[in-house]
Amino acid sequence: MQGKLNPMKLVWPRAVVLIVASGLIGLAAGAAPTPGPWEQSAAELADQIAAILGPGQARLTIRNLSRVPSDEIPTIRRLLEQDLKARGVLASGVESANTIRVTLSENLRERLWVAEVIEGNETRVAMVRLEPGSQQQAQAGSGLALRKQTVLTTSEAVLAMLETSHGLVAVEPEEIVIFSHMADGWRGQKRFGIGQKRQLARDPRGVILASPGGDGFEAFVAGMACSGSYQAAQPEGEWTMRCAESDDPWTIVQPQAAQAGSGTQMNVSVTPMKAFYNPARNYFTGVFSPSLGADVPPFYSAGQVVRSAGSAPLLVNGIDGKVALVEDGALKPVAGTRDWGSDFAVLRTGCGAGSQIVASGSGEAAADSLRAYELPGQEAVPVSAPLPMDGTVTALWAAPDGKSIFAVVRSAADQYEVDRVTASCNE
Amino acid sequence: MLAALALPAAARTRPHYGGTLRVEVEGDPWQQARRLIFDGLTRIGADGNVRPALAVRWESENNDHRWQFWLRTGVHFHDGSALTSAAVVESLNNLCGANCPWAAVRAVGSSVVFTGDSPMPNLPALLAGDQLLIVAGFNANGETSPMRPLIGTGAFQPEGVSNGVFSLTANDASWEGRPFLDRIEIAGHKSIRDQWLDLSVGRADLVEVPAEQLRQAREQRLTVVASPPVSLLALAVAGSGALANPNLRAAIALAVDRGALSNVIFQKQGEIAASLLPSALTGYSFLFSADRDLNKTRALRGGLTSPPLTLSTDGGEAMQLAAQRIALNLREAGFNVQTAGAPQHGDLVLLRLTLATSQPQAALESLLRAAGVATPVLASDPAGLFQAEREFLDTHTLIPLLYLPRAYAFGGRVRDLRLGPDGTPLLAGISLQDTP
Repeated sequence: MQGKLNPMKLVWPRAVVLIVASGLIGLAAGAAPTPGPWEQSAAELADQIAAILGPGQARLTIRNLSRVPSDEIPTIRRLLEQDLKARGVLASGVESANTIRVTLSENLRERLWVAEVIEGNETRVAMVRLEPGSQQQAQAGSGLALRKQTVLTTSEAVLAMLETSHGLVAVEPEEIVIFSHMADGWRGQKRFGIGQKRQLARDPRGVILASPGGDGFEAFVAGMACSGSYQAAQPEGEWTMRCAESDDPWTIVQPQAAQAGSGTQMNVSVTPMKAFYNPARNYFTGVFSPSLGADVPPFYSAGQVVRSAGSAPLLVNGIDGKVALVEDGALKPVAGTRDWGSDFAVLRTGCGAGSQIVASGSGEAAADSLRAYELPGQEAVPVSAPLPMDGTVTALWAAPDGKSIFAVVRSAADQYEVDRVTASCNE
Repeated sequence: MLAALALPAAARTRPHYGGTLRVEVEGDPWQQARRLIFDGLTRIGADGNVRPALAVRWESENNDHRWQFWLRTGVHFHDGSALTSAAVVESLNNLCGANCPWAAVRAVGSSVVFTGDSPMPNLPALLAGDQLLIVAGFNANGETSPMRPLIGTGAFQPEGVSNGVFSLTANDASWEGRPFLDRIEIAGHKSIRDQWLDLSVGRADLVEVPAEQLRQAREQRLTVVASPPVSLLALAVAGSGALANPNLRAAIALAVDRGALSNVIFQKQGEIAASLLPSALTGYSFLFSADRDLNKTRALRGGLTSPPLTLSTDGGEAMQLAAQRIALNLREAGFNVQTAGAPQHGDLVLLRLTLATSQPQAALESLLRAAGVATPVLASDPAGLFQAEREFLDTHTLIPLLYLPRAYAFGGRVRDLRLGPDGTPLLAGISLQDTP
């Protein structure tokens, strides 16, 4: 086939609707003609075909090499026939010498509709691009159900993030970025260089905490400590920030009043804890300030677990993969954590024991998942189904109020997604 | 285009530091080592888009005739010398020959400026290529010498070669962060059989799996990671001499039985191709017919007596078998073809071209440059790319045959193995399971 291209410029459809089953109901044969996902593209392809062929008859064939559901083909054919007819091309001419061969195709980035217009020995080609479809991800659940909602998507690695009333503050390896909410989602508005002088580890980590007044933050990355505040007195409000080299320990548990217990409101004081981070690697050294009185091994993550008995021991996930409780000056191994990855965060749900540990894990799946656990004694008991994530979980932390956690997920395409994860009871 | 990666059953933890990764390859270990030692101004991300590397940002002006790339600060070569714009210019001038995408390159402060006689819309992607990695250590004449080894800025630095094993050690000052591994050893010139044996007894951590042996590797329960089809098997046809007549070249294109190549030689692991770019990148590859048509072949020959032709290849056993099969196809169509052992010689050369990026415009220009066509690809939309492909393929100087995946098998202690967009393993990101 010696295809020549129609010289018409290809354009994107002005309005493209996501391809979800619910959106297709109105397009079933006989339904009232409402704007559907294919109308714009069909009209544009018909435009190009008519420009090549001119008024007359042609035989129209359609084949589907894409993931467009086969029950959509009659709708697409009808639209094409209507649009061609409106442009003077009668597409029902079975006896016609001219053929319009439409192929519904796709590539990695988009859908592509291709028309080969065959007149005698000559074939000319027209193409229309469509945005790819997307599908909603179903959530599995049993008992407590975890749900995720994407807050932010970026091509830069996000190490930690804080929600404030003046925007999102994201810690990246070399910058702190302020995101403001626009009509089309969160957009980076201001970037502050951290001034990092040392070489970062390959798996860099960071922490960001709200300042007590809520108008500022304190952030840590390897060898640097930063603080920022929002100056509402400025005409349009303004963030200021400063960073300095620092080997100080990072705050890993914030002071707050946490609740535990099912049905009974029990206030347990969660004490602030600081731990020293190894800036050349990707873990904490095991040294706390002030000391915990126990010999804690190097660890990836730690969190304070509020128990119904009123105690709040520290849970640490060691770099050797062993999870332990630090309680009464001793290290107590925790069973049932074989499926845990390196990160966990404590989520206050009010369900069951009142708070759960949400841990990352990959198991045999291609992508990581999150799962909620309770720790009635020294064994972690799963209390939710795994929540599939769309890639590798690279960071996990609890929101300041503890009622949601945030996960950073790196996709196979090296995009970073910050997801808010919440839980609901009795599902 | 998802890699078929089998993951270990245990939960994933953060990567551990330390350990030595042992890699075995059939070819020259330098091919694997090069990407560990040197960096480009840009790199191609997993999503196929151009990402910053030694350059942190870039801008074009004058309709892509002028590009300015600003260098990352604080980067050092392995000998401790700073990466400067002058060093980058020296490297690019020494490495880029007559087929350069640009006409001139010069240092401007901490940036590098490229100017071209033609627009260079794909320059950021082309600068990620293996041929344009930034290298220091040339002598005054722009030559290399054994006394002055080439040095780079990469995550690993060469340690030496002993008994055919190329050793590299971690660069603690790598601008990308110190790699997890302490050391990588790459043993070259190992047969696939020996590689798989070494993997099975724990003497190797990462070995090659040729496309035609993918099925066998899975049957042997090797843990395999395979790329999407990124390696284009193509027949280069001399546009002069015995095949100066374009009808003869067109007849050759119609005489090859791609289906038999795919099914018999490459064990159905390839994607039959008649276009330069694979279907996954464009969605229009079906417009190029891959069907064998001996009637048309004869019609195009028009009774012309075929001159004696030679077909050569520089590949391994599968490539030799494929060359013999193609020669048989051509003889069936009336061509007088003999296979020759001398690589890269002859009227017909069976070769492999690698898809460097999944960004279609840059990928097409990169493939065309590899085929000796130095014209920039200006179109970015599917219609324009189709036209550019069509025009080149109508010359029948390169006949696409199959797209093949690249695959590797790895041992249980290898963590976070990912393949680059060209199907090569990203060794610098690997960590080992059993390191504390």
